[in-house]
Amino acid sequence: MNMELTHQIYAGLAPWFALSLLLLGRSPHPSRTRIIGSLLLGFFLLRIPVGGWHLFAWIRVLEPNPSFTLTALLAVALWHRISYGKIFRAQDWNAAWLFGSLAALTLYPMGLGLTSFDPFVWGWGEFSPIATTLFASILLLRGNRFGIILLLTPAGFLLHLQESQNFWNAVIDPFYAGFSLIAGAVLLSRKRD
Amino acid sequence: MGQEKEKALFQQEEISGGQQLPMVHVASLAELPSGMLAAVWYGGTAECAPDVKIFYSEREPYSSWSAPHAIMTRAQAEKDMGRPVKSLGNAVLLANPDGSLRLIFVTIAMGKWSGSQLNTCASKDGGLTWSKAERLTLSPFFNFSELVRNRPIPMVGGGWCVPVYQEFLGKFPELFWLKEVDGKLTETKTRIAGGCSSFQPSLVPLAARRAVVMLRDYTSARKIFLSRSEDGGVNWSKPVPTNLPNPDAGISGLRLSDGRLLMAYNDSTTDRSNLSLALSGDEGRAWKKIAVLENESGKSFSYPYLLHSSDGLIHMAYTWKSKQIKMVSFNEAWIAKQEAEYGIP
Repeated sequence: MNMELTHQIYAGLAPWFALSLLLLGRSPHPSRTRIIGSLLLGFFLLRIPVGGWHLFAWIRVLEPNPSFTLTALLAVALWHRISYGKIFRAQDWNAAWLFGSLAALTLYPMGLGLTSFDPFVWGWGEFSPIATTLFASILLLRGNRFGIILLLTPAGFLLHLQESQNFWNAVIDPFYAGFSLIAGAVLLSRKRD
Repeated sequence: MGQEKEKALFQQEEISGGQQLPMVHVASLAELPSGMLAAVWYGGTAECAPDVKIFYSEREPYSSWSAPHAIMTRAQAEKDMGRPVKSLGNAVLLANPDGSLRLIFVTIAMGKWSGSQLNTCASKDGGLTWSKAERLTLSPFFNFSELVRNRPIPMVGGGWCVPVYQEFLGKFPELFWLKEVDGKLTETKTRIAGGCSSFQPSLVPLAARRAVVMLRDYTSARKIFLSRSEDGGVNWSKPVPTNLPNPDAGISGLRLSDGRLLMAYNDSTTDRSNLSLALSGDEGRAWKKIAVLENESGKSFSYPYLLHSSDGLIHMAYTWKSKQIKMVSFNEAWIAKQEAEYGIP
């Protein structure tokens, strides 16, 4: 399979999972028909032609590199909605939001020019995948399942599933950053209360 | 026996030839190992318009420019990258020692320049056919918005240092280091300055590890800024204003054979109605004007691109009234003559 097709298929997973989640709605135990219908409808919605291109191509204009963390978290959320088994507990989600907030606050302000230092360059070095693997191992040793998702980032990066060659794109994207900052702020405000 | 004095040489020519486009802009030049010059620029109905194409032309030494042909269109970029592209923009051309060419060009995904990305493709047959374009991911936030404009510098041991800049939340200058190993591109970046400061760096190496960049102003100072590196472009000093004005317009610099620096710039704080040259004998600290190449009130002469070819000639491509890409070529004897005319000792 050529790399361009690999990149396209991988980049389609996150929007497919997100659309399917939206279509499943808030019902706590959706029927099998609804689950299959939502997954299929999500898939076909991405293929709706808009201005000569599939909707997916327009999404890819905005974000060609959904992070492995976002894709995996959406997969976990989807699994929680369509099955009775829970993979993630509250502490695992909290770790995901806190990690996402920290990564976002480290990367985006300086990466977009706040200072003359650019942390985005770390993503082209060997340090970032190693540091992420170490951090994931610590989480796993502490029994936190978000560590498994973090371990997927160097794996996906080494497999070149993304168009980007920068490891930051494997770890975080603006959507995951946005969710994390909102959820992180909610967590902090709850702790204060 | 005294050394024969080189004769001053100056000539002007059109690169974009008979193109009757409403707008052509941002030319870049490259010299192939054979001594041939190649140029790329973009043109269409207007900046950021969907019909903008990137054009290519070439010229054998002392010959005329070939008829321009489009080497990248919006449709081709969309096909290569499998997603919609709104328009095309700035492009620079890199000539590798093996004769192959690499094009780095801007595509606009949405909006204007802040919604742009860089892409690259290569040609192994002198610009006749080009490889599939691929997207370069150089910015963390949706890969917005990295642009290219000034002359790339070849690195010892292979690869290129390409001056780039961001125009998203702030405008600031960076360097993009590109290497090709076994057909695979590797990349990294260095930031010159952050914030809303200056952009469109023009990189001039001074020695093995020393370099300066001249910068287009994005402050209220309305001056060309300058920054220095003493460690091969890894760290840069805080940009400081020079004595040359800048009306928020593109500039280009290069190093002459005697070590002095030459700058092409608009000698104004308000408009682009003249295009001038200045010299610095102290690595960019002080500049003296030596020539006015274009001057017409209410018109625009912009985006100079200087290239020192192996035959000793200095070429400067530029946008002429947004209607043509022109080039002037001169030698260092002509510069000396200009210095004498301007009373520079």
